[in-house]
Amino acid sequence: MVNPYIRNRKIFTLYALLWGIIAAAHFSIVVFALGVNLTFAAIEAVVFNTMYLAIGVSLWYTASYNSIENYSPAKIVTNHFSAAVITSALWVGGSYFLLTSLIISDKPYKDLLYHSIIWRFLIGILFYSVITAINYVIIYYNSFQNKLLREAELNTYVKEAELKSLKYQINPHFIFNSLNSISSLTMTNPDKAREMTIKLSQFLRSTLSKNEKQKSRLTEEIANAKLYLEIEKVRFEERLEFEETIEKYCSEIEVPSMILQPLFENAVKHGVYESIDKVVISLKCSLEKEYLRLTVTNNFDPESVSSKGEGIGLKNIKSRLKLIYNQENLLVSKKENNRFTVDIFIPLPQRKVENE
Amino acid sequence: MSKIKAVIIDDEKLGRDIIKNYLVRFDVIELAAECSNGFEGIKAINDLKPDLIFLDIQMPKISGFEMLEIIEEPPVIIFTTAFDQYALKAFEVNATDYLLKPFSPERFTEAVNKAVKQIEIKEPFAVKAEALVKTNDEREGYLDRIVVKMNQKISIIPVSEISYLEAQDDYVMIHSAQGRFLKQKTMRFFEEHLDPKEFVRIHRTHIVKLDKVKQIELFEKESYRVILHSGEKLPVSKSGYQKLKEIF
Repeated sequence: MVNPYIRNRKIFTLYALLWGIIAAAHFSIVVFALGVNLTFAAIEAVVFNTMYLAIGVSLWYTASYNSIENYSPAKIVTNHFSAAVITSALWVGGSYFLLTSLIISDKPYKDLLYHSIIWRFLIGILFYSVITAINYVIIYYNSFQNKLLREAELNTYVKEAELKSLKYQINPHFIFNSLNSISSLTMTNPDKAREMTIKLSQFLRSTLSKNEKQKSRLTEEIANAKLYLEIEKVRFEERLEFEETIEKYCSEIEVPSMILQPLFENAVKHGVYESIDKVVISLKCSLEKEYLRLTVTNNFDPESVSSKGEGIGLKNIKSRLKLIYNQENLLVSKKENNRFTVDIFIPLPQRKVENE
Repeated sequence: MSKIKAVIIDDEKLGRDIIKNYLVRFDVIELAAECSNGFEGIKAINDLKPDLIFLDIQMPKISGFEMLEIIEEPPVIIFTTAFDQYALKAFEVNATDYLLKPFSPERFTEAVNKAVKQIEIKEPFAVKAEALVKTNDEREGYLDRIVVKMNQKISIIPVSEISYLEAQDDYVMIHSAQGRFLKQKTMRFFEEHLDPKEFVRIHRTHIVKLDKVKQIELFEKESYRVILHSGEKLPVSKSGYQKLKEIF
């Protein structure tokens, strides 16, 4: 990590200001407690504190290279102890030399300075400790921030990847069976074959394009899901019936793309595929408190033993809803006698609720 | 020479139509019946004794494969399906051909010619291939129902209702909530095709469904037996006891 004292002007100003305050305190103590004259006291305060200001900037490196993750506590303590002693010695020695040999030649002051060296040395250790402690705080605060940032990024990636993996996939058997129906119709009813080809193309096109989008309007969802049912109806004829009840206001609401069609596919798979009798699939859309409620119901043959892979489509939708809206239980399914019902609840955008 | 009698079994009308249409070109074949589900199929095969059937696999109630299990003398079979994962199993039941929907008239002709040849020379169709093709199609998963036929009545037993299976000579007696049923299969077949998480072979002659077990008790010295919730008692072999011990 780059030294923030150098890189960041604001921090450096603050840092320098702090040393100004320390220098002022230094000055007062020397004047009032030790009775040094004002000029000497001022010179001393400037020399000592400017020097530590410079040393202090470089202390950043002792903290950042002695990271707690990479070294044992004993090693870190030893390192810092040596560094503290060396910097303090340098500081006190340097300042002393500068003051006594170059600036001030007054004998009583020199003596005073000489006798207080050990105290000054200890203050140097104190400075070292405080600055190092602050540096560690900065380092950990920064890495914590970075971690949060990375975590947030990672979460977005994971969410995207999960949503991708839960994307609806067109069942290949549906396509092959539809193509077989078309193949058959070309001989018996070419007009219907053409109609079916068009429907299948429409369904494939909208499914493929919708899968790229996160959300679409409910009307589009319903249109696509109905297209699917119409295609299946050509295959199963009177074995499949569809009815819908859609409340006003519902159709313009945005819902996750391809959320409805898998419910119909599930109903066809477990209802129509497994039953000799007629299966009625019904769709109901209604507003309920702060939710848009979509209900898909189908009857099924209670005697047919459910085939394998039941519920994978529903589980995917449940997970998708949970990922998108961050809420549990947005999909509820129940089996009663010979009726299977799936409810999904789409949370309405907040302002929509206020408007109504 | 009399015509070859054929039956189409497919739950989709359009699926039947296409075969019917293709069949028109074959003078030697006469379409005897069209069936829209497995039950009709079984009835037609037993009543009409066709030489050839076109059989869909995925159908409501009972699948094409399950149908074949309860037919005593199956005719020559051509499967027609959109599922390619059943091909291996199809040849295991000695199917003559396996047509993937949608299929071309050429492909259909090829399959029918093969079938006609088989019927004309009365070849005991293919070899009994059961031994040749090993059943290890993982994708298929375990059984979830068993179709049986007793006294002309077809029953579908959900695997969840079974309590245990018992070996009886060439048959296996299935004890289920609906009663007892005989099925011409081996214990080994069931051991392999029932979910081992639910079923354990506790004895040479017994496979038990674990959730039906109430307790395991010491019967005689070093010999154990299982008591079911229903009160029935089943023998447990040494290796069977080891398996149960690992689970309970």
